[in-house]
Amino acid sequence: MKITVNLFANLRDYAPAGQRPAEVSLPGGATAADLLSALRIPPAVQAVLLVNGRRAEAAALLADGDEVTLFPPMEGG
Amino acid sequence: MHGWCGTILRVDLTRGTIATEKLDPRVARSYIGARGFGIYYLRKEVDPRCDPLGPFNTLIMAAGPLTGTAAPTGARYVVTTKSPLTGAITCSNSGGNFPAELKKSGIDAILFEGRAERPVYLWVDRGRAELRPAGHLWGLTTHQTDEALRRETDEKAKTAVIGPAGERRVLFAAIMNDRDRAAGRAGVGAVMGAKNLKAVVVRGEGEVALADPAGFKAANARYRDAFKAKTKDNPPPLRTHGTAITVVGTQSHGVFPTRNFQQGTFEGWESIYGETLTRKYLLRAKPCFSCPIACGRVTRIPDGPFAGEGEGPEYETVYALGSDCGVDDLAALTKANYECNELGLDTISMGSTIACAMELYEKGLLKESETGMPLRWGDGQALVELVRLTARREGFGDVLAEGSLRLATRYGRPELAMVAKGLDFAGYDPRGEQGMGLAYATSPIGGSHMRGDPAYFELLGVPTSVDPHTWTDKPPLVAKWQDLFCVIDAAGLCVFFSVRYLVEQNLMVKPVGITELLNAATGAGYTPEEVERAGERIFNAERLFLLAAGFTRGDDRLPPRIVSEPMPSGPAKGMVCRLEEMLGPYYELRGWSAGGGPCEAKLKELGLL
Repeated sequence: MKITVNLFANLRDYAPAGQRPAEVSLPGGATAADLLSALRIPPAVQAVLLVNGRRAEAAALLADGDEVTLFPPMEGG
Repeated sequence: MHGWCGTILRVDLTRGTIATEKLDPRVARSYIGARGFGIYYLRKEVDPRCDPLGPFNTLIMAAGPLTGTAAPTGARYVVTTKSPLTGAITCSNSGGNFPAELKKSGIDAILFEGRAERPVYLWVDRGRAELRPAGHLWGLTTHQTDEALRRETDEKAKTAVIGPAGERRVLFAAIMNDRDRAAGRAGVGAVMGAKNLKAVVVRGEGEVALADPAGFKAANARYRDAFKAKTKDNPPPLRTHGTAITVVGTQSHGVFPTRNFQQGTFEGWESIYGETLTRKYLLRAKPCFSCPIACGRVTRIPDGPFAGEGEGPEYETVYALGSDCGVDDLAALTKANYECNELGLDTISMGSTIACAMELYEKGLLKESETGMPLRWGDGQALVELVRLTARREGFGDVLAEGSLRLATRYGRPELAMVAKGLDFAGYDPRGEQGMGLAYATSPIGGSHMRGDPAYFELLGVPTSVDPHTWTDKPPLVAKWQDLFCVIDAAGLCVFFSVRYLVEQNLMVKPVGITELLNAATGAGYTPEEVERAGERIFNAERLFLLAAGFTRGDDRLPPRIVSEPMPSGPAKGMVCRLEEMLGPYYELRGWSAGGGPCEAKLKELGLL
């Protein structure tokens, strides 16, 4: 299945070949955690994770066509 | 005293006299400083029913015990007064270098009373203060005023000034310090203008005395080291891209206010957010006094109709002058930001008022014969022109200068003003961020994000993430964070560092690091619980002023668009803000009556009876 990934700020470094947004192919049944490892984002790197605009946990199951957004926690506003 | 200088300056502008008073140590301990001193003196000395632009209002500039120390982000001061925009209290917060200079001049706070007959400025030279004529400065921009004042006083002096907008009492005029930092919200600049006070100029060479210098140094090093360790390989997004990186958080959650809050996603967001700003216009990052983050932006638009150089835009400006007006031209909104800085306007209320006018125009309620120009969504040229007109109250700008609520009311649609208690919202649509709705509705100054900013935990993952769509869990969190923000503002610190490094990293945010620094600076021997209690005291005291000014529970509300029109699209599609369901539990846990006032037991507990 194909997942669209938006990476921001310093997480942008993990975009495959600098794609924007990135397209990642994953086997059916993959989770957000699988996506993070496919992108080689180390577990120690903190990230806010959204699937289709809703907050999700790393264990969340992904579906074909999902849009995932990842950005570092930030103090902002 | 330590941490505190122990000196309050009382300036009677009517008589032209200046007196120094000793800071009462009990007041210092109970209210900590800055925002706390602001509400203490406002309640003590100002009739809540007074005319905000009359001589009986007092303008209070106050620093905190950590302002001007080496504490990380010890850069802030707070301006407190009765707001001419809202009729409520306002306490507007700013950084830069002016607040630290005030402390180095040996002063904790300045109270400006009365009204000068002719324009004046206050010159504080190493603790000695005098009022000087300012007729020759009247009409100058904030930058011109800063330059002229440093020429005639001391090149190293720091200034807080008003521009043409404050002079003309634009109801959302700002006080600009260090040229481009703003105490922006709810018309503090108009109060200064109404007092004929053009500027405050300060030069100080002293150091803030510390109760335990070694302990302070050790704590300070530890917190700075923690920051350095965490950001060594990953520079903070705020330094790399400025606060405008926050668009990522709001747009992706569908709460990025667009076209006067008609939508929560903006199709042009990529043209105006922080990474684009960095790539196209950033010259350098600029820190405030003692700040390791450096979120300030020095930018330049090299060419084209909006060419210029200055500071900004920050996130709130990108929302207000950008998405909220449908403007995706970063050069145009940045230029409008420069104009706001130089003319002395709050970018949030300026943008929100223009957005309201654009909606009225698009709905046919406002005609070109009245505005003098078409007001179409996304028109960057009109945006810049309207800022200039508003600051000088020329043409249609005279109508805009009264703010969005009076504008919308004038054209028969008050519900189209996106405000709480008359103060324009910050850049978060509460339909997809329930806690922010409660924070806007219960903030003592009205629609501000800086009174317990739930965006941290609802959108930005700090210190951890909470679902922005739920509401039953929000009342205790919002109350806790409102009290914490009182503490941060009172101490003289900036939220950006404090929320991440000086409080326990869970949702209860116990202010352990702030307490440690406060104790080392002042020797007060606070427990974290006492510091939390001081925050709660400040919040409740502000509420008391609000109630005495005539506000009721019925004013803790949000526009119909937010509470009854479902978000039309995006990740928050179908949502409304469940404010009424949050208010009851919120009052109860605050120890407030169903009418929204603090109960006697609560007042007694906080020493406010």
